[in-house]
Amino acid sequence: MDINSINTKLVPVRFEYFRPKTEEEALLLLDRFGRNAAVIAGGTDLLVKVKQRSQEPRAVISIRGLASLSYIEEGSKALRVGAATRMVDIEQSAAVASRFPMLREAASIVGSIQIRHMATIGGNLCNASPAADGSVALLALDSELKLASARGRRSVPITKFFTAPGRTVMDEREILTEVVIPFLPPGSGTAFARITRTEMDLAKVNVAVALTLKDRQIAGAKIALGAVAPTPIRAYRAEKLLAGQEPSDALLWKAAEEAAAEVKPITDVRSTAEYRRDVTAVLVRRSLLLARSRAGGASND
Amino acid sequence: MTRTIEFELNGKRRRVEVEDNALLLNLIRDQLDLTGTKYACGIGECGACTVLVDGEPVLSCLTLAAEVDGRSVVTIEGLAREGLTKAQEGLLKAGGVQCGFCTPGLLIVTESLLRRNKRPTEEEIREYLKGNLCRCTGYTNIVKGIKAAAEE
Amino acid sequence: MDSLQAIGKKLDSSDGLPKVTGRSIFASDVKLPDMLYARVIHSPYPRAKVRAIHTAEAEKRGALCLTFKDVPQKQFNPRLVSTEETTYKDWRVLTDEPTYVGEPVAVVASETEEEAQAAAELVKVEYEVLPPIMDTQDALLGRQLVHRQILLASKEIPVERNIACTMKVEQGDVEEGFAKADVVMEREYRTNRRYHAQLETKAVVCAPDSNGGLTIWATTQTIHNTRILIHEIFDVPMNLINVKKVTLGGSFGSSIHTNIVVPIAVAVALKARRPVKLVYSREEDMRDHASFSMIFKLKVGAKRDGSLTASTLDMTMDIGAHQVQAYPLLSTVFGWWASFYKWGAFRYNGVAVYTNKVPSCAMRGYGNPQTAWMIETFMDELAEKLGMDPLDFKLRNYVGEGDVFWGQGTTVKTVIRSCGVEETLLKGADMIGWRERGSPTSKTGALRQGIGMARGFHTSSAGAPISGAVIDFSGAMVKVNEDGTVDVVTALMDHGGGTYRALARIAAEELGVPVENVTVVQSDTQTTVYDVCTHASRGVYAGGGAVLKVARQAKEKLFEFASKILEVDAGALKVVPDRSLGQGIIYVEAFPDKRITIGEVASYARQKNWGTIAAIDSYRPTSGPPHFTTYFVKVEVDTETGLVRPIQVVAGADIGTVVNPELAEGQIEGGFAMGWSMATLEDTPFDERTGDLANRGMLVDYKLPTAPDLPLVDDFKVFFANTYEPTGPFGAKGLGEGAYNPVAGAVANAIYNATGLRFYELPITPERLLKALKAKGESRTEEAVVGAK
Repeated sequence: MDINSINTKLVPVRFEYFRPKTEEEALLLLDRFGRNAAVIAGGTDLLVKVKQRSQEPRAVISIRGLASLSYIEEGSKALRVGAATRMVDIEQSAAVASRFPMLREAASIVGSIQIRHMATIGGNLCNASPAADGSVALLALDSELKLASARGRRSVPITKFFTAPGRTVMDEREILTEVVIPFLPPGSGTAFARITRTEMDLAKVNVAVALTLKDRQIAGAKIALGAVAPTPIRAYRAEKLLAGQEPSDALLWKAAEEAAAEVKPITDVRSTAEYRRDVTAVLVRRSLLLARSRAGGASND
Repeated sequence: MTRTIEFELNGKRRRVEVEDNALLLNLIRDQLDLTGTKYACGIGECGACTVLVDGEPVLSCLTLAAEVDGRSVVTIEGLAREGLTKAQEGLLKAGGVQCGFCTPGLLIVTESLLRRNKRPTEEEIREYLKGNLCRCTGYTNIVKGIKAAAEE
Repeated sequence: MDSLQAIGKKLDSSDGLPKVTGRSIFASDVKLPDMLYARVIHSPYPRAKVRAIHTAEAEKRGALCLTFKDVPQKQFNPRLVSTEETTYKDWRVLTDEPTYVGEPVAVVASETEEEAQAAAELVKVEYEVLPPIMDTQDALLGRQLVHRQILLASKEIPVERNIACTMKVEQGDVEEGFAKADVVMEREYRTNRRYHAQLETKAVVCAPDSNGGLTIWATTQTIHNTRILIHEIFDVPMNLINVKKVTLGGSFGSSIHTNIVVPIAVAVALKARRPVKLVYSREEDMRDHASFSMIFKLKVGAKRDGSLTASTLDMTMDIGAHQVQAYPLLSTVFGWWASFYKWGAFRYNGVAVYTNKVPSCAMRGYGNPQTAWMIETFMDELAEKLGMDPLDFKLRNYVGEGDVFWGQGTTVKTVIRSCGVEETLLKGADMIGWRERGSPTSKTGALRQGIGMARGFHTSSAGAPISGAVIDFSGAMVKVNEDGTVDVVTALMDHGGGTYRALARIAAEELGVPVENVTVVQSDTQTTVYDVCTHASRGVYAGGGAVLKVARQAKEKLFEFASKILEVDAGALKVVPDRSLGQGIIYVEAFPDKRITIGEVASYARQKNWGTIAAIDSYRPTSGPPHFTTYFVKVEVDTETGLVRPIQVVAGADIGTVVNPELAEGQIEGGFAMGWSMATLEDTPFDERTGDLANRGMLVDYKLPTAPDLPLVDDFKVFFANTYEPTGPFGAKGLGEGAYNPVAGAVANAIYNATGLRFYELPITPERLLKALKAKGESRTEEAVVGAK
């Protein structure tokens, strides 16, 4: 991209701005403009991309603060979070704190307090950065994502949502409307960890873990990894290693090594592939140990 | 495309014409001549452009001007109705102001912090400030000043 | 000094008030009626020739366009601190032969920023792309040249093998010295290429006057040198150029030279006959300037008793595509190195090399941070070889009181008259628990703590007994107003270090007025006499020295008038500030009826037509005495992730009399943050394929420490040594750069103490640390050890 076309002091692209009052209005606008439109909620991803000329929308449709898309509701089996719910509201929600402390942890470290007052859970998912903290947490929680367009609605499990760096299964006329997070069974513990260069940073590696123990055995293990593959991924081989086993220190260490073997990290301006791989093992191990103790399981070594 | 927006700026009702792609930062600085809010990175890394929208701290370099239609905005110039806020005084007394470029954004975030948490610990203050870069002070005197302001 | 009224006291500040209320005017805040907004067009190639520039489409849109054909063709050096004979010139206002990605080739100006951006995108530049030179080794092969010829003063000189300039200094017989040594150690070090990351990007507003003159507001550390340079480039007489002071949003050396935005804006303003504003975006700013990166080869000979016999330093410096101050830097690096320890015989060889990268310029410390890191980690390692504690080894050999200090290079020498090094070392060691730190082999567990120490210094100005290659003098005016308040007028800039407050205190102290009565006026080139620049930690020492000089002269006049009024001999008069009255009181001891306020004297003088009580003069410091600092840093290393945290800092500083205690502490805390960043975070690698910065100028990938990355308030202790500098105003020295220089070395030594690992390259990132921890036991560097005698 020509360096003279990038200008972070302003928005160097002209577009038409819309502020629909309802979800239906937004969908109709999106249907009209298709790939020439961009949906904006907080703007912390979209406007950076526009300033850097990697996106040049002709229409910008704002769903910021749209009440029908901003909510956190406890159902009987799951938490339902509107896609336009801001990170700060997730961070401060009592329901999230009690049901998914790990999600609260992830939401509370995204960017800065300013960014969290702007950025939304939906935006975090749709931006599809492989390093997104929110995405990684939700991936370990096996969330279900609800999509809508003027032509219909559908549901996609998060494990099928990301396709490539910055890409999802969403088509150009769809928006994400809701994230459904099934409650964890009793005996569950979670943990979230990440490594950055400074405290205000994108992750070099991030890890989210959910362990469920039953009768001193691992009834469920979910390990999500970010920034070590083209999309956030689940470490399925490591999860398989853990399923049905007793959560000994040795096993958790082994699972962490296995998870590190599943990753395909790159070397970029932030870190090296070697470092990312090494640190994946450390973070997964530490997170598994922590999740185990939160699940009520103790160390036996 | 231009549009007319109406919003409250530092307690006063304003009605301005803005381009659809105009940033709140540039509306404040160039159109409305309130230059206290600063541009320093344009991509959300440094916090120098922080203002309060509906009482909450946001980055004006990543907020479209059109988004504040019907809302209230407070900038550094409007932080204190009269005199100085305790944080402004605290920062001055503690030597927490050097070149002054990060100061407005930082004070806006501090205002938000102290409204929410009247007795923040040092760790809480530092965590809250992590989105505001300062290249001069190393933050020590800033933290001292905010702590002193909170304790008054 | 208890008798001092303003110096050293914690008093409320006044120039901070506009900063906390958002009312300070920075260059980028200046707005004028009928103003145009300019946008520079930068070369996207690291090395190219411009074949054609098509501006028709942009002009059709209403933009004004200038290319290299529309500006003066003179070659210049934007930094005017060196004397003409030693100034190398290879810059142009706009070029048709860009030598780095980001170099300005054209500029457009329009009614709004957005219009200017749109116009800039319509300008089509045709380039002939040439193969770039992206590292010094490649450059020295000389297959391609960044520049074929440059100017030295006004003489054209050829450039060979991309060598911009060189310097050699030798004293004594180094071979003999090494032969005498019991241990000879040699190491190679590579520094990072830092970016100043000053928060305010480079900006300028230039307004033409109807008489052919110009008014300029700019991000600058020197209004006078800016004026001189614009005069030299554009041939506008100096009395028609006025450079006005604005508040400066940090600089750290990046505006010692006049930033290229200034002559570009001047060119546009002269053509448009309208005011022009040019503010760089962050990505433009990051492609505008950087620090110097160096490859050092250091060799030192030592005896078992801890004395040093000889040392050689070979330094290759990557200066990027243009010279700002490469030549004087060769000199200062020599000076810093020669002034650290008593090496015995020494030999220095410095080479500055062009590459097609962002041009390097001074960054806080001017070669001293790099040199201090190298030396202090080397000496740590050498001490270990000799079986000595590094503290004792350094105490034995440091250059201190009575020794010659080569500050700012070969023509700036001073005999050290005040020195608190021992105090800072011993007291700091005590405070942090240095003796109990343990050896690296004693550390166990995943989390390991280590304590490291480094000492350093910097000059207070570039003053010297004889005039050399560096211009250093300051002027000031002090006047007593008719109500007894005081105006201080100086061209010195304050970039946040508290210089103005220090000047106010010095004037207040000398004249005997309450410090609140003193205003340091926001002035310009027309109303001030020359000050070279606010750099080299000279604000208080030299700038304050000038204020003190004229305050003394004004005081003489004040006493002369007072003696006439009181009918007392001037020699019997004393003055003291009365803060409740808000006046300075002139009195005579033992004669209580002989009293008068300064305001009354000034008012009386006006009524009687005696004249204004004022003085104006220049001051040349005849020494540049070093201020000394020592840092003890405790870190915690997570050996599983390579992450390092700073958990405790003890910093001791010898700055002579402490004029402004909280601001001095602030300099140290800020210096630590910056040094921590230098040691662990900062670098601007280049993309080999495109020749552009790998981070594309985006701050998201130039990380700086945030508040939670740094130690808690109670874990950061600062103390000042009890010293007095006889040549400084009220005994004061500088501090700005000494606060930064030794930090990286202290951090590196702390990492060593925690892990047993030494690094010869900066930054020490978790990636490098973890890799080394994994491979522990292997040594990368060559070592020459002479057998024990």
